[in-house]
Amino acid sequence: MLINTAKNNNLALCPQCHKVNVLGDAASDEKIQCVRCKGMFYQRNSRSLQYTLAWSIAALIAFIPANLYPIMIIYSLGIGEPSTILSGIGQFIDHGLYPIAIIIFTASIIVPLLKIAGLFVLVYRAHTGIRLRPDKHSKFYHLLEFLGPWSMLDVFVVALLVAVVELGFITTIAAGPAINYFTLTVIFTMIAANSFDSRLLWDKQQNSDENF
Amino acid sequence: MSNNIDTKQLIACQLCDALYEKPQLKQGQIVKCTRCGSTMAERKVNSIERSFYWSMAGLLLLIPAVLLPLMGVTLAGQYHHASLLDCIIALIDRGFFMIATLVFLFAIAVPTIRLLGSFYITYSFKYNKLKPSLLYFFRAFHHLDNWAMLNVFMLGIVVSMYKLLDDTELSINMGLLAFILWLISSTMAASTLDQDYIWQKLEDEFVD
Repeated sequence: MLINTAKNNNLALCPQCHKVNVLGDAASDEKIQCVRCKGMFYQRNSRSLQYTLAWSIAALIAFIPANLYPIMIIYSLGIGEPSTILSGIGQFIDHGLYPIAIIIFTASIIVPLLKIAGLFVLVYRAHTGIRLRPDKHSKFYHLLEFLGPWSMLDVFVVALLVAVVELGFITTIAAGPAINYFTLTVIFTMIAANSFDSRLLWDKQQNSDENF
Repeated sequence: MSNNIDTKQLIACQLCDALYEKPQLKQGQIVKCTRCGSTMAERKVNSIERSFYWSMAGLLLLIPAVLLPLMGVTLAGQYHHASLLDCIIALIDRGFFMIATLVFLFAIAVPTIRLLGSFYITYSFKYNKLKPSLLYFFRAFHHLDNWAMLNVFMLGIVVSMYKLLDDTELSINMGLLAFILWLISSTMAASTLDQDYIWQKLEDEFVD
């Protein structure tokens, strides 16, 4: 099914103010200025997939130390007990707090990994066009984009615990080095998802339809 | 492909680039893309008024939400409580500058700037004080869309309460109520703001 797109009509949509701009003589990979909001943008950023891939790889690398180092150290009566993200979830399961264990496991392990793996798949499909289903894939992309910020959950929990549990010698909680790496993972995946342009999925399908 | 197309009569889907003629919307109506099913534009009901009052409420709640203690713990006769700002100060004291900066940005600075921004924009519309600089202002405002994480912080409060409930005596303070109300007002201020209407109006005013 061929559909009328802005790109086919030599038009470009401003990503900031959603104004349809006339591309004019500019090439499709040239930066143009929006007539309404005066922002600079591309009709399609030709490096969009590369940016997404690069940020996803960076996120994956940062995710390794995030899981190996302790994210939180509980000092009670002067003795420190470090816990990583996974061992923290284990403690919740030991205490029988299954709903919280599931929430933290989803936010800190499943969502970052799903995002990184999902973006790899999307970049691969958008680049090669193999088994591309733009309707399904763009919905999947929006799910990934929506889930992104929720991974910050563990960081906020540690920040709150560090501030609240400050009872001198009896109990204090300190943050561990993993919190830095974990935050970097979350930010990198968010930038990766933001750099992906879901219109590339539709373009690819449109092109392959024209060829048949 | 002629270049004399009237772009004011066109609308394109942000997600799949499908091009349509712009429909005239009444308040409360939305346009969906027939190809990918996403919402392309929405004419929100009474947007300026609603967003104005919600952002005003959010700005009033800002100071109690940030400064009042959220919760406190009692253990072996000792009591300690912390506010949102205390979280950031505690992180700075322990040398976690990056996390302190990011928590400050995501949980205080970005939500505050967004509230100020939507307040200023709706104020200018409500009292007809439109300036060309609003075009730049509103564009900058959009860059913050993804980075406000008050709702995630709220879930963080709930989770850490569960964690503390296990082996300490937990008390909830007024700050939590203020924070929840702040979260509600800033979410409502953002979701009632009709961006398409504001862009359209600014374009009619200042762009030839």
